[in-house]
Amino acid sequence: MTYLKSRRFIGAAFTAITMLSITRTITSNGDLTSTVTIAQALVFASPIALAGLAGIWAERAGVINIGLEGMMILGTFGAGWAGWQWGVWAGVLAGVIFGAIGGLLLAVAAVTFGVDQIIAGTAINLLALGLTKFLAIVLFTDAPGGGQAQSPPIKGDIPTFTIDSIVEPLTSLHETGIFFISDLAGILAGLFYNLSLLTIITFLLFAMTSYLLWKTAFGLRLRSAGENPWAADSLGVKVVQFKYAAVVFSGMLAGLGGAYLSIASTIYRNGNTAGRGFIGLATMIFGDWRPGGTAAGALMFGYIDTLRLIDTGNQNVKGLILLGAIILFAIGGLMLRKAKRNSAIGFLLLGSVMIGAYFSATSFPPEVAQVAPYITTLLVLATASQNLRPPAADGIPYRKGDNH
Amino acid sequence: MLKGLKLASILAVASLALAACGSSGEEATESVAPPEPTVAAVKVGMAYDQDGKGDGSFNDAAFAGLSKAQTDLGVEIKEVNSGASATDATREELLTLLADGGYNPVIAVGFAYSTALAAVAPKYPDTTFAIVDSVVDSANVGSLVFAAEQGSYLTGVIAATASKSGVIGFIGGMEIDLIKAFEAGYIEGARSVNPDIKIESKYMGAAGDNTAWNVPEKAKTATDGMIANGADVVYAAAGGSGLGMFQSVKAAADGGATVWAIGVDSDQYTVPSLAEYKDIILTSMLKRVDVAVFDVIKGVVDGAPLVGIQNFDLSKEGVGYSASNSAVSEFSGAADAAAEKIKSGEVTVGTTVQ
Repeated sequence: MTYLKSRRFIGAAFTAITMLSITRTITSNGDLTSTVTIAQALVFASPIALAGLAGIWAERAGVINIGLEGMMILGTFGAGWAGWQWGVWAGVLAGVIFGAIGGLLLAVAAVTFGVDQIIAGTAINLLALGLTKFLAIVLFTDAPGGGQAQSPPIKGDIPTFTIDSIVEPLTSLHETGIFFISDLAGILAGLFYNLSLLTIITFLLFAMTSYLLWKTAFGLRLRSAGENPWAADSLGVKVVQFKYAAVVFSGMLAGLGGAYLSIASTIYRNGNTAGRGFIGLATMIFGDWRPGGTAAGALMFGYIDTLRLIDTGNQNVKGLILLGAIILFAIGGLMLRKAKRNSAIGFLLLGSVMIGAYFSATSFPPEVAQVAPYITTLLVLATASQNLRPPAADGIPYRKGDNH
Repeated sequence: MLKGLKLASILAVASLALAACGSSGEEATESVAPPEPTVAAVKVGMAYDQDGKGDGSFNDAAFAGLSKAQTDLGVEIKEVNSGASATDATREELLTLLADGGYNPVIAVGFAYSTALAAVAPKYPDTTFAIVDSVVDSANVGSLVFAAEQGSYLTGVIAATASKSGVIGFIGGMEIDLIKAFEAGYIEGARSVNPDIKIESKYMGAAGDNTAWNVPEKAKTATDGMIANGADVVYAAAGGSGLGMFQSVKAAADGGATVWAIGVDSDQYTVPSLAEYKDIILTSMLKRVDVAVFDVIKGVVDGAPLVGIQNFDLSKEGVGYSASNSAVSEFSGAADAAAEKIKSGEVTVGTTVQ
């Protein structure tokens, strides 16, 4: 099993790098796999990934967490406020605690009182938005360096690591432009360049989640609360306690994601989550309620965001179009082999349109890149929805003793 | 189970929409009595867009004009915010609230108020309204527009003169005509100095994407990219996102590079919340919203309200560049010469990127 899994992972990574490498070679745009791009993509991906991971925890225990955005907002605020008062680590802690309070609120409403989970989550989003705005006015208006809509700067920095002995040789290898090798080098170097301790923590949280939820008795019980809580209860699992623990932890993760954002921009600012809680939810669905796929989804968002922002003369957007076309052709080919003719024709057609666009247009509006992750998520939902499997009792209020 | 998934996705979208309607707070912030009421005190109502003061930029500039009027003219003031996700309906409510409360003039700060003001102004013919950055066609509305392209032309001249690499950058907030005029002027100014100069432009969001003004971390990455590509002067017209440009330029300067940032709207060199970045702020494109706001209030106090289109351009000193950082004096000769040419009509600056 583990052997199969690691083979699948290596296979996926190999395919991804090959596609990137083909695109990079055709466009001769080194930025696509450069050290800086990958390092920055990790920074943009981490908050989204944390929100996605938060979604996994809540929904694996059978509670839909639409309130992720709200919990993330609470996290950004907590980090801005405590970070300004007592330094960056206090900010991280406060972000986690504020997020946990949001999680607790959802747990009380959805688990104890059986309120419709979508409504409860939406309420938390609205509440968090209003509350943080109000508190920002109260706390930051007269603070030096702050304002009605933003906190003063957070004190101190999260340590970041650059391992020169790895980055330097790999970066020079990247610049040689050898097919596959130099792209792999750029990507590897990016992992060790300006790596924030919070990114490492994010990675560890993913590893921990994979292990805890899928390899331990605790995880089995927690997931049973999301698959069939009535059966779990009949076997003596304390379903309500598991749901509480999962939803509060979900809030903590979302809060940490929010703290990450505030710390990355050194201040809290009204609206600086910019919908990343919802994007996290999308990556969770993209990833089939599993950590690996969720992380891949978050990386896709982070990578595309980075490419769009560091773009020179629209070259990266052009590269993305080509990459998209290559991916579509690959999926189309796969579909053909699986004898799904209609889907295959759809993908190949779409791929051809993109190839045509790539070779005929001289410039693309950068908005194309902005919407790319959303379109990809929609494509995944449209084509893979038969294979996506949310927890069976996700979103269904649970009452002990009910018959199902 | 798929039904649940569908429901969840639909409601996720719905909750976004709900959040947009629900959060627009009408946060009355301050109501200060006049120090020495002259005659019958004029009551000024001011409606900010988004979160109002504290942006170290546009809204703070409007407030500066208001507080000057408060001290110099002894007017009574009332300030309200529309909130980050306001709709036209809530903006209308705010303006109606102020007009009903006897505030005259009522000043709407920001283009977002255009639709709301067009609906409210005709209902209160005896109240003078003003709107910053937009044109509303009504007999009792003063439309305060700024020739941002002229001011940006000057910063473009300064940027091109200061740049050693021949590459400069521009960070825009939302990609709308208002901000594109900044970009257009900047590019034209830079090219007037160095026709071969390379200008990299990046917007933080498409039209309608309100997050564009609040994503400093994205502005930082974009600026990092520009600097990595050789840019040594970067100009941002991006509201709260502009902070990211300052952070990026400061980091590059700390790393030993000679790089400059150019601020916008207010004199960002003197803004307290940006004190940390002072050293790298070469100049700021001044959009004298304070002058315009003060003039509107003064007009009402003097009994000669400013209505119709009021174009605050270089000749009216409605736009310009700041010389607070002494480092700019090296380049101000070129900028002042350009300013004279614009004033005399020898140079006309376009508002669309060529």
